[in-house]
Amino acid sequence: MIYSLVWLPQVLKSAGLKVALVDGWESRGRGDVGQIFGVICHHTVGSKNGNMPSLGTLTRGRAASNGRPALPGPLAQLGLGRDGTYYMIAAGRCNHAGEGSWNGLTNGNGNFIGIEAENTGLADDFPWPKVQMDAYSRGVAAILTHLGRGADCCAGHKEYALPQGRKPDPSFDMNAFRLSVAATLRGTAPPLTPIPAQEPPAQNGGHGGRVTLRRGAIGELVQQVQKKLRIPADGNFGPKTEAVVRAFQRERGLVPDGIIGPKTWVELDTVSGFYELPPT
Amino acid sequence: MFGSEILEVAIGIIFIYILVSILCTAIREGIESWLKTRAVYLEDGIRELLNDKTGEGLTTHFYNHPLIFSLFSGGYEPSESSKLLTRCVKGTNLPSYIPAKNFALALMDIAARGPVTNAASSDPYTPLVCLDTVRMNIANLKNESVQRVVLTAIDCAQGNLNRAQANIEAWYDGTMDRVSGWYKRQTQWIVFGLCLAVTVALNINTITIVDYLSQNNEARAALVKRAIELDPKDSASPDLNYDAVKQELNSMSLPIGWTAGWGAPRRAGDPESKIGTKSEWWNDIFAPFLGWFMTAFAATLGAPFWFDVLNKVMVIRSTVKPHEKSPEEASEDRQFPTRQVEETRNTNPGTGQGNIGVPIARTGLQANGVGVLPYHWQTRNPMDNESSIDGCDIDISTRPATSDEELPAAEGGVA
Repeated sequence: MIYSLVWLPQVLKSAGLKVALVDGWESRGRGDVGQIFGVICHHTVGSKNGNMPSLGTLTRGRAASNGRPALPGPLAQLGLGRDGTYYMIAAGRCNHAGEGSWNGLTNGNGNFIGIEAENTGLADDFPWPKVQMDAYSRGVAAILTHLGRGADCCAGHKEYALPQGRKPDPSFDMNAFRLSVAATLRGTAPPLTPIPAQEPPAQNGGHGGRVTLRRGAIGELVQQVQKKLRIPADGNFGPKTEAVVRAFQRERGLVPDGIIGPKTWVELDTVSGFYELPPT
Repeated sequence: MFGSEILEVAIGIIFIYILVSILCTAIREGIESWLKTRAVYLEDGIRELLNDKTGEGLTTHFYNHPLIFSLFSGGYEPSESSKLLTRCVKGTNLPSYIPAKNFALALMDIAARGPVTNAASSDPYTPLVCLDTVRMNIANLKNESVQRVVLTAIDCAQGNLNRAQANIEAWYDGTMDRVSGWYKRQTQWIVFGLCLAVTVALNINTITIVDYLSQNNEARAALVKRAIELDPKDSASPDLNYDAVKQELNSMSLPIGWTAGWGAPRRAGDPESKIGTKSEWWNDIFAPFLGWFMTAFAATLGAPFWFDVLNKVMVIRSTVKPHEKSPEEASEDRQFPTRQVEETRNTNPGTGQGNIGVPIARTGLQANGVGVLPYHWQTRNPMDNESSIDGCDIDISTRPATSDEELPAAEGGVA
């Protein structure tokens, strides 16, 4: 069965955000959602490594362990990776909110969309990556615009959950977050600058004019990158290549989104010979 | 003296009916305290009211609500049996009376905060019970007909929480009147059975007693004297108990009891005292049965009724004998005074009893003003078993972490 929230990916993509669909997302959910009154923001308390290490757990739920009962998934409609990519997990109802109250509404699971952003929730992961925070507020604003609601319909799980103090997430200041959502809703926020589809033209005999590569790309450019990154050069930008590109970007302090845009091209040019992957 | 003798016989008979009635009512109350029929009837009425025939839905939540839960000991478990009698015999610990105020408050609280009592529904930040939150969370009741009733009560309250509460109370009271009706009807049958048993057991035969009184002047005078002593002012609640009544009956040396055998009413060997026909069939079979039934039927009408009749007869008698005039007494209206909830609430809004909190704008919902709905008021998902769980604090160690290679391909974000 296809559930109600199938509009989410298109809404997010239209806002200029990166969206990845998890297989079977349209028919995933604990039944269908009710009337949607807003969004509840969470963080995953996941691992520090990787872009979205909690995705499997969010999709399938938590297995029983250490006396804690199993928790049936999905655990949120959307996951937000560290690179600002939204992972579309489920179009149906998810077990994300639990007991609580926001604007007098008490059924968070039934009446709110849950967004789980990847973060350890600890000091080692604070402040949050700028690109992730930016995508967070823009994504929430896009959803609220679609719902026809204001920024007050966005709650942090720590604000919603009852009894007070039951949940610590998200670790950022919700009031400041709502202000930035409101700014996007009003249109006063600076517009999102997308990754250019092509490098600026070459100058002074250097490199230039190369297209932006991402997963799914094929060709000689991909082969060049693969050779440099010491992976089998089949000219096919697949998941393995993407993972290595992410690792390279992480190493060089770029946004680890696995997309080879102008900034990544420049960094790749600084690599002479072969790039040695850092040990994981 | 014409009139006087007949009236005196009537007074004597009425007096005996009163005593038998009180006797039977006392026995009935004794049985009631053991069977708790009232509680079972009330529970059945609540199920009917909440449109929950099995009692497993809203009725369970209602009885388990702290405002109701405190009215009885133990917990509520819906009985599987739909038969009232079976439920009565099984016994119950449920309350036999639930105040209308508790009912209305519990219902609105369940609607606003959900049916389960836990840390979340008792937290200071839990939703306020105000018209907006009751309306928005109405699906918590999980009962379409009750939701509709509550919504109507809210809408008719014009933004006044106390009036909404009064509306729900009025709905409850209306149904409870019907429940009283069911109970009364059932009780009447039981009381009739009891009356018949008592009548036969004590051999209180109306025909024989009339016969005896009309012939025996001293006995009649004594009985009337005793009846007059009975203060009609106490008639609302005759505080005669079982033992006192039984002693009273025994002390009157009336032709009752089985000491003289089956045909006891007539003194043996005194053919003049026999009534009408000399037929044995009438005397030995028909008359006793008819007499018992007359007594039983009369006693079923209840002591209050016979007190009233006694008062009337006293008045008639006193007009016959003016020098013994007793003050005229109107027949008492046994209806409870109708509740004045609506009026008191209206004259004193906000401070009336049962005021459970003036809506305070905590979230800006009320800022829209009464009558303007801040949201599209439809919630399809009421609170259910999975409303209370969340996996935010997910322990991802139970599943392997998703590596970057396993992530699905992203789209968008590139111009």
